[in-house]
Amino acid sequence: MKKISYVVAALLIFGATSVKAQLIDEKDVTVTMDLQPVLQLDMTTPDQIEFVFDNINEYYAGITHYGATILKVSSTVSWDLYAVGRSSGTNGAGFWDQQIDYGSGNNTNAIPNLPLSLLELKQSQPNNGDGASTGTYSDYSAAFSPAGTASGQNSLYVNAGTNTPPTLADKYIGGHAGVTGTGDFLPGGSYLTQTGTTSNYYYSIDYRILPGLPAIFPNAFSADGATAQDIVTANAAGKYAEPGVYTMYVQYILLEDQ
Amino acid sequence: MYLKPLIATCILLVSFTLVTQAQLHCGLVSFDPNTSESSMLTFDTPTKYQSGITINGAARLKIRVLDKNIADPLCSWNLTMLIDNNPGAGTPNNEWEQLTLYGNGLSANPLIQSLEIRVRNACSTSPNDGVYQTFTTTTDIIDIIAALLPVTPAGSCSNNVNGPGDYISHYDEFHFDIDIRVIPKFAFNPGVFQLNLRFHLEENP
Repeated sequence: MKKISYVVAALLIFGATSVKAQLIDEKDVTVTMDLQPVLQLDMTTPDQIEFVFDNINEYYAGITHYGATILKVSSTVSWDLYAVGRSSGTNGAGFWDQQIDYGSGNNTNAIPNLPLSLLELKQSQPNNGDGASTGTYSDYSAAFSPAGTASGQNSLYVNAGTNTPPTLADKYIGGHAGVTGTGDFLPGGSYLTQTGTTSNYYYSIDYRILPGLPAIFPNAFSADGATAQDIVTANAAGKYAEPGVYTMYVQYILLEDQ
Repeated sequence: MYLKPLIATCILLVSFTLVTQAQLHCGLVSFDPNTSESSMLTFDTPTKYQSGITINGAARLKIRVLDKNIADPLCSWNLTMLIDNNPGAGTPNNEWEQLTLYGNGLSANPLIQSLEIRVRNACSTSPNDGVYQTFTTTTDIIDIIAALLPVTPAGSCSNNVNGPGDYISHYDEFHFDIDIRVIPKFAFNPGVFQLNLRFHLEENP
């Protein structure tokens, strides 16, 4: 019996050393892909958009600049786009900078602090990423209101002169506040590949300023469009905007959905 | 009483030995060189995302399959492609391995099928010559020259040349250019991702 066991063991060793698989060789190619986040906002706009109010009709009806700014988005990530009114803060946070004061400037009813929100915007394409919005106005897509009807539907978003993103109650051009992944962003894409007459990646922006008479800017409203910020409401009856030259700027911010 | 099982075991071992020894038909099967290579695809503009990046000749496979001293007419070979995404790190079997993520990353990681691979040589020996192919999962195997085909001798410059030969004497049949292409478009998380493409050369049993 012992002899037989030796024979089996020898055969096992022989079998193990004799096992020869097919000849094989391998070669590896490692492919590394660096998907860098690209958020690109192409903007076509004049360096300066001037609103010169030098006759009564313009005070009553306002001045509108159609298609003054073209915004084109290319993004590899989900994104939000908003506009925010800003200034140097010469007249305080949230107000236009008064560059020149016409006249004596001694009239106590003439108010030099004009709210940044008096500027109205109208975007050409509705915001299709605003499902999460809780405010009355989620974007600037509504037509400008008639001159005699005060409305905050197009008033520019302002947050005390900062560029802090709007909240769920405020206006975005594209996308909205939050990262729930539903109704609060626009997906990555580019205006380059869009077809048709409208696109979520292409916006034409109209601007309007409506002073009214007296010049109280009745369409100046808070960020959520709920609280009037016209000169009278913000100050007192009988107040009006002081004649002069004022400047401010609109900052367009494209950022990854947040 | 132990005799019968022992005899059966011996017969099994002998037959196993015979079978395994019978598989060797070639003297040498190798890539030359077989060192690993790497390709970097950097997407940093919308145009690249949209149109993709192609690297022609990302790898060149130079094959040597030599007969044994006494030539065996059954010496032939097959060549396949496999994909590896480091599943040990928990990578799903249909995605690229994530090395790092940029930003929030709300979308999905890139899928393996976004990597397109094209194999070509002058004689179009692979039936899939010049056609971009993709893997769906890591379990997929793509044939360049399929296994167990009848022997097609070198020099015929036709489909499925798999007889012995090498890239020195039959360059158009034993040399393969590997082209890779990725068109991510705007669907995936930003970040750095990796895949390992493995070319497996083996003699046919």
